[in-house]
Parts: sequence; structure tokens; C-alpha cells
Amino acid sequence: MTRTVLGLARAEASLLVRSVLALAGLLAAGLVTWFGIHPVEPLWWHAAWQIGFGQLVLGLAVLVAAQLAAGRARRDGMAGLYASFPATAGIRTLGQLAGIAGAIPASLLLIGAAAVSVHLLGVVGTPSVTVLAGGLLLVIAAGAAGIAIGTRFPHPMAGVLGALALLLSSGTTHLVSGGGIWLVPWEGLQDDLGFLPGPLAGYPPAGAHGAELAGLAVLAGAAALAITVRSARARAGLATAGVLAVTLICLAGAVQLRPVPNLNRLVTDSANPASAQRCTTSSGVRYCLYPGFGSVLPSLEAAVHGVLARVPARLDRPLTVSQVGLTSLDATLTHGYPKRQVSRWNAELRRAPAIASPESAIYFPIWAWPAFGGPLADAHFNLALATADWAVRIPLVTIASSQSGQPSQPCVPVNQAREAIALWLAILAARPPAGELQAGVPAGNGFTAAVVDHKVIPTWSYPGQGAGQVDQIGFSPPQNTEAGYLLARAMTTLPEPKVARVLAAGWVTWLNWHTTDAQLAAALGIKMPGVPRPPLLGTGPIGNGPENPVCT
Amino acid sequence: MDKMTMNVSTTAVHIDGLSRRYGATRALDAVDLALDRGITGLLGPNGAGKTTLLSILATVNEPDAGRVSVLGLDPKDAAERLEIRRRLGYLPQELGYHRHFTVAAFLDYVAILKEITDRRRRAGEIARVLAAIGLEDRARTRIRALSGGMRQRLGIAQALLGQPELLILDEPTAGLDPVQRLRFRELLSDLPGDPVIVLSTHQADDIAAICPTVVVLLQGRVQFAGTPSELAATASGHVWAANERGPGAHLSWRSSDGRWRHVGGQPPAGADVVPPTVEDSYLLLSHAAGA
Repeated sequence: MTRTVLGLARAEASLLVRSVLALAGLLAAGLVTWFGIHPVEPLWWHAAWQIGFGQLVLGLAVLVAAQLAAGRARRDGMAGLYASFPATAGIRTLGQLAGIAGAIPASLLLIGAAAVSVHLLGVVGTPSVTVLAGGLLLVIAAGAAGIAIGTRFPHPMAGVLGALALLLSSGTTHLVSGGGIWLVPWEGLQDDLGFLPGPLAGYPPAGAHGAELAGLAVLAGAAALAITVRSARARAGLATAGVLAVTLICLAGAVQLRPVPNLNRLVTDSANPASAQRCTTSSGVRYCLYPGFGSVLPSLEAAVHGVLARVPARLDRPLTVSQVGLTSLDATLTHGYPKRQVSRWNAELRRAPAIASPESAIYFPIWAWPAFGGPLADAHFNLALATADWAVRIPLVTIASSQSGQPSQPCVPVNQAREAIALWLAILAARPPAGELQAGVPAGNGFTAAVVDHKVIPTWSYPGQGAGQVDQIGFSPPQNTEAGYLLARAMTTLPEPKVARVLAAGWVTWLNWHTTDAQLAAALGIKMPGVPRPPLLGTGPIGNGPENPVCT
Repeated sequence: MDKMTMNVSTTAVHIDGLSRRYGATRALDAVDLALDRGITGLLGPNGAGKTTLLSILATVNEPDAGRVSVLGLDPKDAAERLEIRRRLGYLPQELGYHRHFTVAAFLDYVAILKEITDRRRRAGEIARVLAAIGLEDRARTRIRALSGGMRQRLGIAQALLGQPELLILDEPTAGLDPVQRLRFRELLSDLPGDPVIVLSTHQADDIAAICPTVVVLLQGRVQFAGTPSELAATASGHVWAANERGPGAHLSWRSSDGRWRHVGGQPPAGADVVPPTVEDSYLLLSHAAGA
């Protein structure tokens, strides 16, 4: 019997390895993993779970392939012939369950490729083998579930529905908080983990998660065998295995539902970053980073120095560029803690420098410094623009009024020469693609605008805006104007030394927010670019709506 | 003629009072039968119970009543049923196929299910049966690309895997062209080890050509069991040739020589008695049974 099972397992594994579904699943899983890890800062305590999420995609494909394999005999009208063989239905099911091993190379290949990619991206931290093994167990559990489904329901749609059920169960939005953690913890936590300045010791409980997945695999396997095995003794054994698997799942689930340990330490490190961060000063700029993030420093310096090197005056005030950890706690992280405690922690986080005095430094969140590509170019440009705004004294943020407490409208540097100068400095420092810059200008009938002093002001936003910026409630970065961008673009067509001479000659004047675009254009000897009038609007003032303040 | 007993010392399949119903339909009705080693042809119209009988012999179906002994083993006993299956080659009447499998992969999979676990032996068996059915050049062809006749031959090939001692073939020549039918006869005749072969067919000439024993099953009951010549002899004196069609005959048709052949009933005037064939006898039995 053992040799027959092994022979069947080899045959089924071979079929699974060569199945188009499994190959498509591997490809899709690779893409999902790649798109999950490369746009954000590579952190092992986050990336490992992202890799696990990629394994979910492979698991879906393996589930469908396994269901098709298990239902093959009945679906193809061969049940009568199969019943005449000495290998019973139970042995066939056992062979098919063992054949899921065919998915293991694909899973390991995916994990290995993702690990190498993350390593090449300059990942922070160290990998957890337990977390990565969870992805492998997920694929195996999905395959076992597919066989259980296919043994009972041979129609191909049964596998598709099973995969859909697995996919839906992996989401948390439709489940009560905690339910999502029970089923697939990485889904609920992966976003949070990316904000953490370091791994949370013992959390997520990867060992318990692995045990849960192993229990699910055993339960699915026992269910599949219970359908095909006839012997009363074997059925009793399967029932025992099923009960043990359910017990394991429940225990592992209970461990995963425990509150996050060391949350107090995490809040302290985020609310009082000075206690955890390491600061270094380079060219007069102070960079404060959490331990382990030193590798991003050269990239930060390049963007900041690229701006400051072109500023014609020496720094007359200190500039700090600082990482930001958590800015608030969500329900997933605080699961199991009393509301009063959560409120205290959130109050503590609101006293963090990045929240309490955001104008004092340039802050960027932990996840926002990806390794390469468009997202990194965006992060570079946004840091360069923030540095340039700081250099020309445009307020980095607009603080909400204490009376309303409502999110404030961003300030707009309307008709201010310093806006174009800041944009020109950022463009030269970060050199973003011209097409992307131009994409910030609305085309056709579409337009974006701010309302300042009852007048509609066409605005310009960098398409990658937001990358590398802290998303906080209560204040906003300045809103650039289309006129300012068009003038900056015109400045980039001039020789840099010429512009530098003009700026150096009247730097104090240019920093004055009353100095206009037109004055700058005249000094540079260029014509002020025209800004198209927004369509469908008259020339008069508009009514009572939320207005943007002028940056002063 | 319900109970037909052959030489007990060589009896390989013994059936005693076998009955099987599907709802109100009686597929088998107290069938008694004893089959020797060698080829037994099962003849009968659609719905006569042939497939039910063969599926019971192949251990994939269970009777409502009666006893069956196959190769001296009782299919009701789990261990003995397993032993029967180890010695069995079975071709069901309507066999589906894993159409995306290649011919070789399908046979390899079936060989594993037949507990041929040694890879070399499996490869040898696959090569042997492919050569036997003339599909050796199609080993890497996907089943979906095979013609209906080729698929039928593949079905026969899987039944031959493992050199079974008991070969049950339900309408194996359906879909085969005349040359392939002749090759099939040759194949069965050349099988080593004197296996028990039970095949069902509508083709009386197949029975006459290769089956030392023929069983006629009508309406779930055995109407005849004996040699083809004995079966033919049952129609002696009831088959005529005449120049005109006679209204009193049970069945009449114009033969290739232009004369009318009459089976059963009353012959027309001037008819000549001619030697009956197996087909004549089968038709006569069918008519007598109202099938």
C-alpha cells in the first residue's frame, strides 16, 4: 500500500508541477509578492508577511488544481474503472494528499526569490524562518482543502468557489475585528507592521500561526479521507485526527488573539523618538533614524544636499529630517486592550514631535523610503521639495486652528516668487522625469484649483505627491500653484549659473512672500508663462466655500 | 435452461441465483452460470443485463441477491475482493478518459492504481500493451487528440496492464473498424497464461470467431450457455432460403446472393432449409423471449 501511495503521490505531484494552473498561480504569486514588497521600504518584519500574502495567491491556484485532481475520476466518467482497481479510493486520496508535495518546490522558489529580492533591495532587519514557513504551510493547507472539496464535489466550479472562500476569508473588512486575525493574521497586520520601527518581539505569533495552518491542513486531509475511506477503524482514526486538528486550530487561534505584547514600548518609541532614534549631522542637517535604518541615510542626504547646495545663503536655522513611527493605533494592534488604555496611548502619540510640532522638522514615515524605482524617485522629489520649501521659508505645514480642530486647508503660495524658486531647487536636486512633472498640470477640461481670497487659483500637484510624507490629521503641506510650477519649469530652461546669480543677488528679497512671480521672471529676463483660465468659470469672485490661506 | 453447469474442475467464475434491480427494473433475475477459463462471449440486446453482470464480476457493483465466486474468491469479503481486483483487467462499457493526459501518462497512472509500483516494470508493461494494441507511436499524444477507435484501443490497453488473470471487457469492439476488430481477435487469442476472459458484444460474428463459450442473456435471464456451434444448432430446421419473401417468418431479409433468408415461423412455399449461424440462433432466441 505504501508503495502505491508513494507512486500515486509522485504522479500527482508531477501533474501538479506541470499544471498550467499551478504555473499561473506561481507567476501571479510572484507578481503579487513583488508589488507588495518593492514600492515600500524593505523591512523584514513586514516583508516576510508580504511574502506570506503572495503564498496565499499560490495557495489559491493549488487549491483549484488539487480540487480538479481529486474530482478527476468522477468528472471524466472513470469512477467505474477506478473502482475496479486494487488501489482503493482511500489510497487514491492519500496519494493525492501526498502529491501536494508537488507544490512545495513552487512555494520554496517563491520564498527564495522574494527573500533574495528583498535582500538586494537592502532590507532592514533579519528574516524569520517561522514566518516564511507559514507561507509554505498555507499552500499545503490550501491544497489539502482542494482535495477535500474535489473528493466530495468534482465539478470544477467547486474549486473556484473554494478558492473564492479562501480569498474572502483572508480579508478583514467584512469580519469583526479579531476574526481576521484568527483566519489569516498577516492580512490584518501587514499594513501596521510596515509602520513599526522594528520587529515586535513575539508578535505576530508566527509559530501559532504555523500551527493553525498545519491544523487546517490535517483537518482538510482527514475530511478528504473520511469521504473515501470505508473501514470503521480508519474512520475512527480520522475522527480522532480531526478532533486533534480542531483542538490545535483553536489553541493556536487563541494564542493569536492575545493582545499585542510590548505595545507600551512601541508607543513610547514612536511618541518619544529621541529615546530610540540615532541622530547624525551631515552638512549642517540633522538626520534622526531608528536603529537599523542607517542604510537609507545616503539616499536622504542626496535629496537634501542637492537642494541646500544650490541655496545661495548659509543655513541660519537648524534643519532636522526625522523618521516617524506610529502616529496612531488602529483596532488590529490594540485588540484585547481596554479602551481607556488605547485612549491614553493615542494621546501620548499625539504629543509626538511629528504630530505636536510638525513645522519644526521634515518628517517621513518608516515605510516611505523604498529601495528604487518610481516610488523612490517620488520620495526623493518630495523630500527635496520639502527641503526647498524650508529653505525659502514656505511653511512646511498648515496647522489647524485650535477652535475648529478640523483638518485645515493647505496654504497656497499664490503669486510668490519663492514658490517657483523652491520648485526649481527641488527639480534640479531630484531630477524627476519631465513627463511626470507635466502630468501635474491638468489637461483638457479637467482642472484642480484652490480658492484663495474668493478667487480660483489653478493648482499643480506632483503625481507622486504623498510618497515619503507623513499622513496626519490636522495639518497639510503647502499647495503649489500651476503658475509657480510653469515659472519653475521655464527657469529650468535657463543656464543654472544664470539663475543662481539672480537668486544670490537678491536672496532676502526673493524670500519675502510679497515678492511676486512676475518680479522673478523679469529679473531672469523671461516672460511670465500664462496660466489657462479654468473652464466653465466666470471672472468674478465665487461664493462661500472653504478657502485656502495664503502661505506667509 | 437457467442453470448451465460446465466442467467443475476448470470453473473460474461461478454465479448462483444472482439478481440485481434498479428501482422497478430487474436487470438480472436469478442468474446461474459457470464459466471456464478461456473466452466467454456474452450476447444480448441493450438492457439485457450484460453490463450489470460484468460490473458485478468486476467488483464495482453488488448484487441484491445470489452468490458469486470469481477465481475461487468471494467479492463480498474485503480481502478476497482486493485479491480479485489484483488479478482483474476491466474495460467498462462507457469509459471516459482524462483527455489532457498523454497516452503513456494515462497508462502509467492506471498501472500505479493496479499496484505496479516498480518503475521499470511499469515502463515495460506500458510498452507491451501499447505494442499489443498498435498505439506504440502514440505514447506522447494527448488523449483528446486520439480518434474514437484509438481511445477504445487505449481502453483495452489499460485492461491488459499487469497481465490480468481475469479480463472483463464490456463491448470492446464498439467503435473499432474491421481491421482493428480482427487485430483484437488476434490479441485475445495470443494472451498468455490462459486467462478468464468475459466479453460482451452485439457482434455475433465476433462471438462465433473467437469465443469457445457463448452466453445469451435476455431480459436479465440466461437463455443459452454453450459453444457457438451448439448455439447455432438450436436454430436447425428453422432457417430457410427462398426466392420470395414469406409473410409467416419471424424475420426475413434479402441476402447478398439475392435470395430471401427466413428465420423462425413458417417458411414460404419452396423454401430450402439452410444451415443456421450463431446470429440466426441469437435472433431466434431473442424473438422467442420477446426481446
